[in-house]
Amino acid sequence: MTSLSETGSGGAARRRGLAARAGLAELAILLALVAIFSVLNPHAFPTLTNLNTILNNAAIPIVIGVGASLVVLTGRIDLSVEGVMGAAGMAFVLLSANSRETADIGWLAYPAALAVGAVLGGTTGAIHALAKVPSFIVSLGMWYVGLGIAAVLFGYEMIPFLGNEAAVAWPTATPLGLPNSFVLALVVVGLGWLIERYTRLGRYAYAIGNNESVARMTGIPVAGFVVAIFAFAGACSALAGVMGSLALGAGSATVGVGMLFLTLAAIVIGGTPLGGGRGGALRTVTGVLILSTLYNGLILVGVDPSIQSGVSGVVLVAAVIAAGWSQRARLRVFK
Amino acid sequence: MKLLSRPDELRQALGPLAIFAILLALISVAVPEFLGGGGPSIIAQQATPILLVALGQCVVLCIGSIDLSNAAIALFASILAALTLGPLGAAAPVFCLIVVTLIGVANGLVLVYTQIPSFALTLGTLGVMQAASLVVTGSNVVYVMDNMDVVGWLFTVQILTLPVAFWIAVVLAAALWAFLRFTVPGQGLMAIGFNERAAGLSGQPVNALKVLAFGLSGFFAGLAGLCVISISGAASSIGLGSDLLVPSIAAALVGGTAITGGVCNPLNVVFGAMFVALIPVGSAAVGVNPQAQSIVYGVVLIVAVAATMSRARHGIVK
Repeated sequence: MTSLSETGSGGAARRRGLAARAGLAELAILLALVAIFSVLNPHAFPTLTNLNTILNNAAIPIVIGVGASLVVLTGRIDLSVEGVMGAAGMAFVLLSANSRETADIGWLAYPAALAVGAVLGGTTGAIHALAKVPSFIVSLGMWYVGLGIAAVLFGYEMIPFLGNEAAVAWPTATPLGLPNSFVLALVVVGLGWLIERYTRLGRYAYAIGNNESVARMTGIPVAGFVVAIFAFAGACSALAGVMGSLALGAGSATVGVGMLFLTLAAIVIGGTPLGGGRGGALRTVTGVLILSTLYNGLILVGVDPSIQSGVSGVVLVAAVIAAGWSQRARLRVFK
Repeated sequence: MKLLSRPDELRQALGPLAIFAILLALISVAVPEFLGGGGPSIIAQQATPILLVALGQCVVLCIGSIDLSNAAIALFASILAALTLGPLGAAAPVFCLIVVTLIGVANGLVLVYTQIPSFALTLGTLGVMQAASLVVTGSNVVYVMDNMDVVGWLFTVQILTLPVAFWIAVVLAAALWAFLRFTVPGQGLMAIGFNERAAGLSGQPVNALKVLAFGLSGFFAGLAGLCVISISGAASSIGLGSDLLVPSIAAALVGGTAITGGVCNPLNVVFGAMFVALIPVGSAAVGVNPQAQSIVYGVVLIVAVAATMSRARHGIVK
């Protein structure tokens, strides 16, 4: 299926060239940020400890971003991230050794949590594709459904603390020189890249996002693939929920709070347009790293944390303007 | 004018009213004292800020864009009102409305000048407004010290057992409906939603109309902010009104507004807002565990939009 992207005319090739250059631009922004903060704060910023802090903070949004990028590639959107993280995270904690002693199915808790996410994501996709309801509203509803499931699982009892101390310490440990959480995130990114590049799921995601009518006419079963893509995104969010629970060392329905807008901003900053058809997981990694470097650097420089959301907002808009500046035209349709 | 000639149009015209009536009937049967007691008044009070934000949102949705920042703008307006009511008195609401309308206009100007997607732009503005709220309040709660009576009457005076602010919002919805239906700029907004390129080629001032839509969104958000301050007498970045975004988008969509643009009926958004405000009451009335209410909210939202949305125009749903 790789030939799909090669069959375009000169215009497509030019666009690919532009896209490649744009990818380098984002990398340049990241390097510039690192350079600026290293100059501003030479003692605290460019250290191995701080690098590991940044990478550890980036791990969860990167994992979410791999699945969410695939959804955005098709021109759809998945707003259910925080709900799925809560539901899957709570399911994981309650199925592992914990202070409430609900159940302990050992390592099976991990696939069980991923299955919770895949089912929630698949349900979103199925309702969207079969009932023809916009993914925006279905995933918005599923956000609340996920939060509700997490709240019901949490119940009225004590906070369930994870019993397995080795597992809780695992994400921030650095046996390979980098935090395990980031290494895991890189593995997921590699998986996402392979899917995007070499599987039907990924190639069709680009095809659907590029021109859905044409994709349908060529006989691609769009609905089925959309459901599968949403299920994959759900599993990614679920893994992020598990990682978040491990980081907290306890179960919480709000383990994913703040992750949705961070991830969406990272996807767009990385260079995957919300209309779909271009971009991918690798670009989202750059987007996440730009934002987490920015947060970390600003705190170390001593900027008031309350303006963080404003800074990421300005960066988001600036990045999108920079990416789209050359395409401005009279009578261009932009929504 | 051919009205209600197809089942789809009928569902679009009456769907929001129908699902609201069904939910209200369900609650009335389950909890008979709801209607006689203060129930409707409380629902109207909760629905008013949601409705006002949703009215602005439906204009933006009408042109096929989205404004993720307007709820944050509403909260900023309430904070601004809390800070300025003391020194400015009766001029404070006017000042707040002007400021937030200008913020909306700024959104629109950046949008048409840079031609970036509204989703990304307003996501950025959302972050900026949140930061502005935190900075202006110093992360504290701001109480209205003086001149509370300037906005207090909005929810203390009642007409037909419902707060006067609710009726004002309904009148504004009717005015917005008339504006979209009977005026040249209103029809221009609808035309952009139907087919932006065609609207531009036929001489509609597309850019100016887009700025108008975002300005209206800011203006209605400001009104919602004044309602928040009237209800609570205090404002903070995490207080009452900080969670208006999702309910207001839901209200607009349940009210039959198409997220793809071109389909928008502000009168139905009134029922959408009341429906959204009723869901928590309804799920409590039929005995849903409080912790499961969010599940009900999500499911009902999906079902309500699936039932009321128009599918006539769209071969492809994204």
